[in-house]
Amino acid sequence: MTPIVKVTNLDKYFGRLHVLKGISVEIQPREVVCLIGRSGSGKSTLLRCINFLEEPSHGIIEVDGVQVASGGKGQAHRQLVHDVRLKTGMVFQEFNLFPHMSVLENVIEGPVTVKGMDKAQAIQLGEKNLDSVGMLFKKDEYPNRLSGGQKQRVAIARALTMQPRVMLFDEPTSALDPELIGEVLNVMKKVAKDGMTMLVVTHEMGFAREVADRVLVMADGEIIEDSNPEDLFTHPKDPRTKALIDRYRTGEQ
Amino acid sequence: MNIFANQVPSVPKSQAELLYEAHQRKARQFQLNVGLSWVTMLAIILFIFSGSHFLGIKTIQLDGEFIRANVGYIAGGIVETIQISLISIFFATILALLAALGRLSTFPPIYALSTFYVSLIRGTPLYLQIFFFFLALPQLGVVPSAFWSGVLPLSLNYGAYMSEIFRAGISSVGKGQREAAMALGMTPRQTMQRVVLPQALRFAIPPMGNDFISMTKDSALVSATGFVRELTWRATKVGRATFHNLEALIIAAIFYWIMTIILSFAQSRLETSLAKGDR
Repeated sequence: MTPIVKVTNLDKYFGRLHVLKGISVEIQPREVVCLIGRSGSGKSTLLRCINFLEEPSHGIIEVDGVQVASGGKGQAHRQLVHDVRLKTGMVFQEFNLFPHMSVLENVIEGPVTVKGMDKAQAIQLGEKNLDSVGMLFKKDEYPNRLSGGQKQRVAIARALTMQPRVMLFDEPTSALDPELIGEVLNVMKKVAKDGMTMLVVTHEMGFAREVADRVLVMADGEIIEDSNPEDLFTHPKDPRTKALIDRYRTGEQ
Repeated sequence: MNIFANQVPSVPKSQAELLYEAHQRKARQFQLNVGLSWVTMLAIILFIFSGSHFLGIKTIQLDGEFIRANVGYIAGGIVETIQISLISIFFATILALLAALGRLSTFPPIYALSTFYVSLIRGTPLYLQIFFFFLALPQLGVVPSAFWSGVLPLSLNYGAYMSEIFRAGISSVGKGQREAAMALGMTPRQTMQRVVLPQALRFAIPPMGNDFISMTKDSALVSATGFVRELTWRATKVGRATFHNLEALIIAAIFYWIMTIILSFAQSRLETSLAKGDR
């Protein structure tokens, strides 16, 4: 099977800090991959390099057949980055909904402005996605009237309405009050069940174990473990993985 | 008919409710006292200019006939004053937006142009700038009318000051907003137009209102050219002609004052409605 995401020899420096050290990883279509690791291990940076919110220092990113090499300049490179962004939907820790637009306007903004989709069609699609995350009843509200969990569900609907091939989640529940985490995880499970390819940076070990097909563990800018969740959580190979899992098990985050 | 209406048991008020009520009472009392003080001060001023003899004090006598004869003529200047202010704020807003965007540019000449403009204009007096347009440019063969000799420097001057407002507004829009727009595939231009500027403008509207109010007053400087018939020009003209400067300037001052009170009121209404909105 051809992978839908292929990262080859990815390096990322922040100044002299070597954050990602020659990462190579492949994700198959419909696969749900969780990316775990301590803060500062480079997992968010890896995610953000895939849709070029961070420009990789070296390496090649390939998403659904669109291949972008690092260090590109000019119009051709910008077009490739644009193509990759159209194929990826991103969900942020801080939601980043547009505060001056209503929930529905947030959701149709991308399709209408970026893809030039007919507005009526975008509304139809947006309402369908808002319904599937359970937020259709708030479509005319503004984001400041929503709870954190509701905002994140709208943000997921916004990303889905762009009809991406891959969804990237950057710690989607880390900014939420504990009682609101469940509703967002449930929506993510639903998205996974609908067959979306997902790459999820998370601290939610329960979610990783239950939903992920594969779990990647990162430490010091490298992927130190890559296996199915059952093996990983019961027989971690690397002592750093074991330490990470134990830390969550004892509940000290 | 509600048969239970009279049977609601009277619950004793809680400590918090009592404290809240006391606080409300105090705030109302304060407002009332401020209002009374204003009325008293106005009454004293009216008395000072009443021209009456009271307990041996002789107060200032204004020439009622002059006022009646000229108040209409001076009031006619309000139209010019508002006209100058509206046109100038329009150009100033455009200049301010361009200067703010220039200030955010990573292209050195554009950044330099923006900082040069702001530095030069803020580093020289508005009064001088008006004369520069009116008196100095004709020496180079460029002869702007008196009206534009006022409007252009006002626009340039307020544009330079207001660019800071826009810059602050643009930087108040978080990095996450740009990233969300980029992740959706928006170009930098779409990100600016659809996401950053609408939020920056909302942030900038209240301080822009303040600038508009102070511009209506600074438009008085345009009278220095001697050819724009706005409020101050009209007041000084009729005042000097018959040595009634006191009456003439008081009339003009009252008009400016009323205008700023109305504009401030409108501006605070705007501010509350924006605050209530979707931020």
